[in-house]
Amino acid sequence: MSTQGRVSLRGVRKIFGKFVALDGIDLDIESVEFFALLGPSGSGKTTTLRIIAGLDTPDEGTLFVDGADVTFAPPGDRDVAMVFQNYALYPHMTVRENIAFPLKMAKVPRVSIDTLVREAAAKVRIDHLLHRRPGQLSGGQQQRCALARAIVRKPKLFLLDEPLSNLDAQLRLETRVELKKLQRSLNVTAIYVTHDQEEAMTLADRMAVFLEGGIKQIGTPSEVFDRPNCVEVAAFIGSPPMNIVPAHLDGETLTIEGHSAHLAQRFDRAPGPVTAGIRPGHLRIDAQGIPTQLYLSENLGESSLLNLKLGDALVKMRTTESQAFTDGETIPIAFDSGSVHLFDPESGLRLEEI
Amino acid sequence: MNTHQRARLTRNVILMAVAGALLFVWVLPLIWAFVVSLKSEREVLAFPPSVFFEPEFGNYVDALFGDFSIVDSLLTSTILATATTVITIALAVPAAYAFARLRLPGKRSLGFYTLATQMVPPVGLVIPYFLILNRFGWLDTYHGMVIVYLTFSLPFAIWLMVAYMEDIPWEMEEAAFLDKASRLQTLWHIVIPQVRGGIAVTVIFIFLNAWNEFLFAVQLGGNTVRPVTVAMYNFVSVEQTLWAKLSAAALVAMLPVVIIGIAAQKQIVKGLTVGAVKGGGRR
Repeated sequence: MSTQGRVSLRGVRKIFGKFVALDGIDLDIESVEFFALLGPSGSGKTTTLRIIAGLDTPDEGTLFVDGADVTFAPPGDRDVAMVFQNYALYPHMTVRENIAFPLKMAKVPRVSIDTLVREAAAKVRIDHLLHRRPGQLSGGQQQRCALARAIVRKPKLFLLDEPLSNLDAQLRLETRVELKKLQRSLNVTAIYVTHDQEEAMTLADRMAVFLEGGIKQIGTPSEVFDRPNCVEVAAFIGSPPMNIVPAHLDGETLTIEGHSAHLAQRFDRAPGPVTAGIRPGHLRIDAQGIPTQLYLSENLGESSLLNLKLGDALVKMRTTESQAFTDGETIPIAFDSGSVHLFDPESGLRLEEI
Repeated sequence: MNTHQRARLTRNVILMAVAGALLFVWVLPLIWAFVVSLKSEREVLAFPPSVFFEPEFGNYVDALFGDFSIVDSLLTSTILATATTVITIALAVPAAYAFARLRLPGKRSLGFYTLATQMVPPVGLVIPYFLILNRFGWLDTYHGMVIVYLTFSLPFAIWLMVAYMEDIPWEMEEAAFLDKASRLQTLWHIVIPQVRGGIAVTVIFIFLNAWNEFLFAVQLGGNTVRPVTVAMYNFVSVEQTLWAKLSAAALVAMLPVVIIGIAAQKQIVKGLTVGAVKGGGRR
């Protein structure tokens, strides 16, 4: 297994004018890992990627690649390839010339260039389009061309900036699978920026959740999904995300809106207010449950998403029950006692079970 | 014919009438000059103007090979205009790239002063330029004239090229940097091919301006450097103006300009419409 392509960021800070894009982040990405930088727009994920690429330099902090400090190294010296959101293909060159360009710049002998271009194009199945120009390609083909240009010189690091966001839904699903296969076959570290958590969850070996210029959590997709370490991550991950409601905890008894339930977990915490998080799929209809009013029912095909009014809050519940509901109807709901996430209402941090 | 079709027909008729009127205003002097160039000097001055006459091409022979032949001047004009254009483009392309892309201190004010030189009326500069060239001993020299022309063509070319360069997405250059291209390689392989239309437009403007220039040429040139615009003045003297030969010479001098204009028509239209439709102009 390759030991190349380890990336470490230490205390990296980046400010644009008065806007703090990155507020001192630390991050370690292992060799041949598929690592996702996930977050909403403006959270600092693309800035992080650009710093790794060398297109931006940090105001503070250090970037190491394979142990070497490359904080201020020019992009061309870093042996990284990048796929841009808009692909950034050279419009005046054919597909062949686009893919060959990095080889030409690296002064690869002409005879090898042709073979390497064919190989790269074949890997992403555009070897029949080599004579075309980017303007004559469909969105999906342009994307493949950008991929081929990135993989052709076998870089140490493979950076992807929302590469699927310009594709239609169907193509996005197909390309997602291929991207993962491609990364595995190339045995290269891939760093993937996305705001789409489904992409991050399905593609990544590990991911970092970015919010407001900081990393809130680093872990495998299931760690982040099953054990969000703070309210912000809990409220961001999941589609739709977790319901966050104020509650009161006393030993193993959790009280929401005056209705108490017995928890399966125990928490080391004195009786007092907490923030409870419950995923929409962990709620169910229960005659003995907390009464709510149906605000709106959304049909998702295989299931329905019920928007329920619980006090002042709007709670979302996913149900496979096919019965028809009417707006304003009272629906009593309950939750699985083992599925509640509790957070400190002050710090927002997760309360650990004992 | 319904109302919609009638409205369209009316609109077309009006458009054609306006276009025809404008074309007439532009073309009439040319036609007049052509007719004059085929008359004898006596017939030119006849009043009322003679409509029926025997066309003769002697004026063209005289203009090209007579005592006041303009052939040498055509060569001079070609050298001046070509040298000005080549040097302008060679300097303006990298300069425009720097203005468009690099973060330079004082870039904004530098850009303004570059353009501000265009606002000075040329006639106010003739005497200073004369004195400067005289001091260097560069009056009536090719390099002296070209340097003077560059002071006008460079700011204009830079200003024109910046707009084209700013149209290229940043990511395209960043992709090139990641592909190990240097700044100069990026300019050469990525930027310049994409602003070809803009360069073509600039070349034509600069060449035409240099070719048509008269004021500086007549003051700062002389017997060595006498472009065709000045040479034509040999047909105008205190005693008389040789209208027929002047017209013939003017039409000959105009020919290269017309040929370049027609040849580059496609590029000009393409270059001028860049940015009008987003991304459409570059393909």
